[in-house]
Amino acid sequence: MPPTRRQLLAAAGAATGAALVAPPAALAATGAKAMAPIPVPERLQRLIRLELLLLFCYQHVLSSGILSPRARRTLTPFAGQEQAHIHALEAQQRARGGTIPPGPGSVREANRDLAHRKVGGRLGQLRGDLDAVRLLLTTEQVTIGAYFVALNTLDEPHLIELACQIMANEAQHDAMLALLLPPGKIGSAVPYGLVQGLQ
Amino acid sequence: MVRDAEGASRRALLARAGAGLAGVGALLLDGCGSTAATAEQTATQTTTPASPAAADQDIAILSRALDLERRTVSAYVAGIPLLPRPLAQAAQQFLSEELEHTGELISLIKTSGGTAGPRANSYPLGHPTDATEVIALLHSLETMQIDYYLQSIPRLSPGPTRAAVATILTVDAQHVTMLRLSLGQTPVPSAFVTGLE
Repeated sequence: MPPTRRQLLAAAGAATGAALVAPPAALAATGAKAMAPIPVPERLQRLIRLELLLLFCYQHVLSSGILSPRARRTLTPFAGQEQAHIHALEAQQRARGGTIPPGPGSVREANRDLAHRKVGGRLGQLRGDLDAVRLLLTTEQVTIGAYFVALNTLDEPHLIELACQIMANEAQHDAMLALLLPPGKIGSAVPYGLVQGLQ
Repeated sequence: MVRDAEGASRRALLARAGAGLAGVGALLLDGCGSTAATAEQTATQTTTPASPAAADQDIAILSRALDLERRTVSAYVAGIPLLPRPLAQAAQQFLSEELEHTGELISLIKTSGGTAGPRANSYPLGHPTDATEVIALLHSLETMQIDYYLQSIPRLSPGPTRAAVATILTVDAQHVTMLRLSLGQTPVPSAFVTGLE
């Protein structure tokens, strides 16, 4: 589930608290990183890399044979939609002469990336619908969060619109994945009024 | 009834929306060692458009969005009694989220230096007579909102305002997915949300 604003505030507060007790050098380093503007090609590269990870996860889960027919029916079209996102972002990146990043080359690489992004669960160790859906759900929320962060700095209108279109589609995936988890009710699949994903 | 619902929760929604913006600011600035208070101040500053003309445009866009959200709130309030119980429960949840959107937009208008206009006395919603017609109406209003957000978010001036409005768009897209599911349609028919689904 996406975090509530209260949870985000609490997390932000905790992070701020941690920052306040951190050594000045650490503060300066993290501050520099947080405030540095990211050029558009680098931003696109980050989004493509994340979409490639998400696609890898969908493909791995769909080919693993652990899904129930219902979950498989739900998830199958999403892999194609992630592929479409990648194509659209890559076209933008090529138009700028930017580098297209590679996707994960193996389950091990994907798992390392998932761990780096603090996504729970590991490919190859999933035992059924619930494990798979939870992993995909968190990865979708991380992806939504990446678009949310990107929208804070993107200033080209067509890129902003594209980011919004994809972010909203990932949020739709998020809702459909949530519907596969108990209690499986429509209301519980859309539990929050504002969705900004995980950052 | 609609006015009461919005009015009663408006202060709480504003507080939450304001806190949300502060949260965003804190997230962006925690690496700088900012306190929560300074993060909140900075969030307000960063969501303030650069020029008066840009601020006026933002206020106009956000006000139109608020009007659309209020119309959708009216439709949920009017339509929920016609829905069967499980759907009515979900619609009640969506109504509360739409109210949260109005609160967020009112807060953003205020941050841009404007004042939210009053609610209309009534909105033309047609005359749906059964659950299917109600869901179709809600679906059309939600997609109208999405279409408007997609057109207008790129025209908003500060990035944090664009991002904040996108958090509303994402939820409206989720509502559309669930409404399509209720209508027996493909819930996520396209890789790109366009407002035509």
